[in-house]
Amino acid sequence: MFALRASRNVLKSRPVFARGLASTAEAPKVPAPRIKKFGIYRWNPDTPEKKPELKEYEVDLSQCGPMVLDALIKIKNEQDPTLTFRRSCREGICGSCAMNIEGRNTLACLCRINPDIAKEEKIYPLPHMFVVRDLVPDLTQFYKQYKSIEPYLQRDEVPADGKENLQSIADRRKLDGLYECILCACCSTSCPSYWWNQQEYLGPAVLMQAYRWMIDSRDEATAKRQQMLENSMSLYRCHTIMNCARTCPKGLNPGLAIAKIKRSMAFV
Amino acid sequence: MLRSTLRLSTPAFKAGMTPQLMMRSPIAMRNHKMFGTIPQPPGGIVGTVNDAAPVPPANPTKGSYHWTFERILVVGLIPMTVLPFATGSISPVLDATLGATLLIHSQLGFESCITDYIPKRVYGSIHNYAMYLLYGGTVVGLYGLYKLETEDVGLTGTIKKIWNA
Amino acid sequence: MIRTIAQQSFRVARPSLRQGPLAAYRCLQTQTTTPAEALDILNKQRALRPTSPHLDIYQPQLTWYLSGLHRVTGVALGGALYALLCAYAAGPALGIHIDSTTLAHTFAAVPLVAKLPLKALVAFPFTFHAFNGVRHLVWDFTKELTVKGVYRTGYTVLGLSVLSAAVLAFI
Repeated sequence: MFALRASRNVLKSRPVFARGLASTAEAPKVPAPRIKKFGIYRWNPDTPEKKPELKEYEVDLSQCGPMVLDALIKIKNEQDPTLTFRRSCREGICGSCAMNIEGRNTLACLCRINPDIAKEEKIYPLPHMFVVRDLVPDLTQFYKQYKSIEPYLQRDEVPADGKENLQSIADRRKLDGLYECILCACCSTSCPSYWWNQQEYLGPAVLMQAYRWMIDSRDEATAKRQQMLENSMSLYRCHTIMNCARTCPKGLNPGLAIAKIKRSMAFV
Repeated sequence: MLRSTLRLSTPAFKAGMTPQLMMRSPIAMRNHKMFGTIPQPPGGIVGTVNDAAPVPPANPTKGSYHWTFERILVVGLIPMTVLPFATGSISPVLDATLGATLLIHSQLGFESCITDYIPKRVYGSIHNYAMYLLYGGTVVGLYGLYKLETEDVGLTGTIKKIWNA
Repeated sequence: MIRTIAQQSFRVARPSLRQGPLAAYRCLQTQTTTPAEALDILNKQRALRPTSPHLDIYQPQLTWYLSGLHRVTGVALGGALYALLCAYAAGPALGIHIDSTTLAHTFAAVPLVAKLPLKALVAFPFTFHAFNGVRHLVWDFTKELTVKGVYRTGYTVLGLSVLSAAVLAFI
């Protein structure tokens, strides 16, 4: 900025090219304001008798980053510091900012704001979850279910040479599309079966991780893992609705993994 | 934050939470759903945050065997359903098999609906009554199918008759 | 842990001249709790939490709409089957006269204008549920279980069932 300031005075006396990169600039153009409405779900546990409501906020998109998370942070910084939501990496790898935007479960940091300013962007917490505050759901049950499938390597004995558990390239390829799950809970909370029977049905995210361990060639507890799912609720509440694959922000396919589990447990 | 978490136990909060407000609060509304519902644990959480979700005992009859049986029925149902449309009419034996398979297929479908929407952990004995009603309906239906075959034109025959009327 | 009354557990000692007049505002009221009491507070909070909206706000998508339609048509068809067979079984006991001829006569009495749409209305659940059932079987063999596959098969099933329902209605 100093270079620009200096150049305006110096222009009349010295040619511009002698100053290298510095050049004149007009006053920075202020882009035309594009005001977009956001309708955000609000509920305060300090006033629990007040029913949850959709509060409207207006954001100038020309002064805001392209992602919904940018808009949320802008609202929190400039308009309403009490707006509460989870966020961390802002790049779609931690899974904290999972919420329901325009009817779809996705990560706020990866979801572009719809540039149509005539439409209101509705932001809700993940569906059919207990709301701790505003856009923050209670994921305790989700994590308890993940723990219940024992998501760690289980073997009877260590390798003979005392070094790594070896795995062929073909076997490692089987894990592609399964290990990338960031446990954001977008898929599980998009599943109507999980909505109705959250306490007993494990949900697509957890079941996909169960499958990830079942087909890992280094893991020897496949039969035990299948036995954990041999009941009417844990796995078999899945009716192949496929909302999970449709909504996954990482492009994974839990529905296919679940179908593969069912197939491996049946006679087909 | 410390203050807000302690707010629930302060006398001010307790005084403010009048009976009227308690009735309108979410927990009261949730238990008020229907008679006979079992009150659920707060937040749906059983045990501490560090306990894994409970794993039910393994029962393949309700698990993979049930699922496989459902699929076998459906695979058998496909040719039996196509046949009355391909040929004009079918023999009473085939008609009875089709009717019975359809009835058991419906029974399994309704069972799935009951398990989804009237779960045992919420409705307790009402879930059992719904299942008994369904089984009873299937038994009566099977008897009705037998009567339909022996005294009348059979299932596909009846539908054909009504359709062409 | 000793449970102390709020007034007694000031973080800062009684304000003295040394701390100045603002010391009173720095006093913090704390309450010591046992883990059981803390869990009790947490459970009281959990009990008041609302459930976030689901059916009313989730975007209509082919995935769950077709799945819902499969279930609705299944219940309708199953209900009709049970109604027909149980009525036939219980007819004599209840005094209702039900047999194929009476049912046919009842339907024949319906005016022709209403017969065609009625037939189509009854045929569509049957054709849709049948074709979607085949789609489910394809999925059970882990085929066409991608988002593209689901949409491709979904539109195919919809098209086929509408077409065949129309054909059946005109028979």
